[in-house]
Parts: sequence; C-alpha cells; structure tokens
Amino acid sequence: ENREAMLNPRSNRLTEALEEANTLFDGVCGAREAALDAQFLVLASSIGKEKANELHSEMSAFDSTAYAEDVLTFMGINRTEMEETDDSEDVPGGFLPKDAWLKMGEEALKYFKRAPTFHYMMGSFESEPPVPKQRIERQKKASRGKAERAMPAQLKKMEESHQEATEKEVERILGILQTHFENDPDIPISFFDFVIDPNSFARTVENLFHVSFLIRDGLARIKLDEDGLPIIEPTKPSGAGEEDSRAGARNQVIINLDQREWK
Amino acid sequence: QVSELVQFLLVKDQKKIPIKRAEMLKNVIGEYKDAYSEIVNMAGRTLQEVFGLQLVEIDSKRHMYILINNLPRAEGKYLCRNKEKEKMGLLLVILSFIFMKGNSVKDSEGENGEGLGQLSAHPSLTPILRKQHCTFGDVQKLVTGEFVRQKYLETTPIPMTDPPEFKYQWGPRAEKEISKKDVLNSVAKITGKSPTFWSSQYSEAQATP
Repeated sequence: ENREAMLNPRSNRLTEALEEANTLFDGVCGAREAALDAQFLVLASSIGKEKANELHSEMSAFDSTAYAEDVLTFMGINRTEMEETDDSEDVPGGFLPKDAWLKMGEEALKYFKRAPTFHYMMGSFESEPPVPKQRIERQKKASRGKAERAMPAQLKKMEESHQEATEKEVERILGILQTHFENDPDIPISFFDFVIDPNSFARTVENLFHVSFLIRDGLARIKLDEDGLPIIEPTKPSGAGEEDSRAGARNQVIINLDQREWK
Repeated sequence: QVSELVQFLLVKDQKKIPIKRAEMLKNVIGEYKDAYSEIVNMAGRTLQEVFGLQLVEIDSKRHMYILINNLPRAEGKYLCRNKEKEKMGLLLVILSFIFMKGNSVKDSEGENGEGLGQLSAHPSLTPILRKQHCTFGDVQKLVTGEFVRQKYLETTPIPMTDPPEFKYQWGPRAEKEISKKDVLNSVAKITGKSPTFWSSQYSEAQATP
C-alpha cells in the first residue's frame, strides 16, 4: 500500500519492512503464512528494483519536459502568445505545421535499419481483366454472327421447300391434266373425278388447292358441261388464252365440300 | 522452394509484424519440412545478396523472424510513404524517451508527475502528442497496439498492481533496427547538447553494439 512512500529514495521504509518480515517469518509455521511471506518478497523486490532504477536515472537526470519542448522546436512549432486564463493546461501554446512529423520522420529514418516494404509495382491483379474481356466480347460477337447466319439460312431452306412442294404439286397436276387431255382430247374430264381422291379427304382438299393455282395462273379452265357439272381442261398456250383468263377470272365458283358430301 | 519463401517473407513483411516459423512451414515449405533449416538459410542468403535484407530471428523459443535493412545508409532522402514516415518519427521520440529514462517507463499515476494514465498521456509527452489525432488517429492505440504487435515496443504488466499497471520497454525489433548510440545522438542533436552530457546513458550506449 505504501508503495509510493517506499519508493521515495530518502526513505528507509523498504529496509524496515524487510526486516520486519524477516522477524515475522521466524514465527511462521503454517503454509498459508509462508505463501503470504513469499508474496511480500515479490512485492518488495519489485519495489527495490524500481528504487534502483530511479537511483540510476538521477545520476544523469534526463529532463523529459525540456526534451519535449526541444522536440517541438525541432518540428517547427509556431509558438503563439496565449493567455493562461482559459486554459488550465500549463503547456506552451502553439501549433505544429503540417510537415512537423514528417520532419521528425526524416530524422528517424536515418537511424532505423528498416527494410523497405515490398510492393508489386504493377499490382498483380490489374493487367488481367482487360484481356479476357476483349476476348470474350469478340467471341460473343463471332458466335452471334454465326447464329444469325444459321437462322436465315434455315428459314430460307424451309420456305424454299414449302414453295417447291406446292409448285411441284401444281406442276404435277398440270402434267396429269395435260396427259389426260392429250390422250382423249374430246372427252372432258369431270372436275370432280379429277380432284376427288376416293381414299383421302385431305388429299382431295389438297388437289382442289393445287388446281386452284392452275386456274388462277390460267393454265387450266373450268367449264360447265350440259349437265351443269364442272369440267376441267388445260388451256392452250396461245393469245386466245388471254381472253379466257380474263373471263375465267370473272367466274367465281364456291365449292362447298365437306366430308359427308365427299363420301 | 527457396524463391517461394523469399517472396512469402517479402510480402509478409509489409505489415512489419514478425513472421512465425509455423506460417512459413504451412504456406511455403509444406512437405519439405525436413529441409526447413536449409531452405531458410538459403532464403536468408538470397535476401541478403539480392535485396540487402537480413532475416533475423528475434525469438528463438517461439521462432519469430523479422527482416531488417542491412545496407549502409545511403545519402539522400529515404523513399517511404508519408504515413510511415510520421509513425517512425513518433516511434523515435518514444524510444528516446524510454531509453533516456533508464530503459523502462511506467504508465501508472503518480504524485510527483512521473505518473501517466497512458504512455501517450505522460505529462512530458503531452505537449508533443496533444491534438495529434489528425496525424495518427488514436495515439494510444498506435502505441500500445501497432507498435507492440510489430515488436518495436514491449509492454509488461507490473506484478501486484491493482488496477494493473504496465511498463514500456524497447521491443526486440527496435533493438535490432536502431542502436542506443543513434538514439542518444538524436536526443543530443535535438536538445543541442553533447551526448556525453548524460554520462550513464552514454556509457550504456557505448557498451551496446
């Protein structure tokens, strides 16, 4: 408790306490008291060490306050005249310039054998991203282009096939019609006989569809015979065809054909 | 393996926290555990010959290492970031303070003005450190945290004190990186006195290599 008092170099308190402890120890028989005594010894030695320390530094007294002031001067403090009325601190007034500690640091670095900190100059992460980015972009563009090209190509193919199919069919039917007519030019071909497929309704519709192309293009003609039933014949490719086609275009026949009738 | 270790050490040294042997074994050496000492020695040689840095073991029990600069001091300005420079300035002041006061400074409260609630609040240091948080942030944290972790300072509790008090001394890194002679010379320069003015400090400085 009386640590500070003991620390006082002028006091012999420590020595007195030690002597007292010595005498007390003679009377000790229990372990607990011995432990207390040991504790006291530790305390005493620590105080003793401090005392010795202070003795040492008193020989070459280091005035830390003066040192502090000198440090401030070294750092280039601007001392201002300050009234001590408001400030309870009795420290000299003034403010340090911005580079105060840098100046101190310059001085310090002269003495420290400090290994300069190692940093990568270019930074290991900076150069990578741009390169892959470009590559990715280019790849994307390339693949997109291909896809687009693939698409129109596909579409074209489909459309072509569609058209081809229809055209082919139409031509085929025209061919059949012409062959028939060539064989027997005087016997008219019944329209219904021509288009109806006894086995397939869908086929019949398709045939009608194809025949309508022929008529539209003026390659075939539908006329009504004596019975009022339509007959179909190929047109002759001649100047007279123009009139006919005009006339033909005027006649619109709606054929109502459903599955029941077909049967 | 050796060059990997060299790189590892150089990068690890950035924070200036001592490097443990366990870290070296785990991250770099791995399976080559048996060749550990050879690899470390060769790495040390490379560091010295290529970079002029010395690999020093500061704790032989716990096997901790630091890198210090082994090149003779060059003329001209030392290339360093400003933040680093300022911290080194503060460190020099603190190390000087501790040395001149007999190698150990307490942070306890005392009657005769020697007491200090914190080292940075020491009445003698206050004029220097007050209002310096713009430069250093939390000064006490810097002193008891960073400087201690980097082994520039060592703080030990004083036994039997309640509330616990601490004393501050030079840490092993400080002892390797700076000499007492240089510190005394800097104090002399700043105060405008001769180093021999403080006889006991002077003789101690002369005695320490």
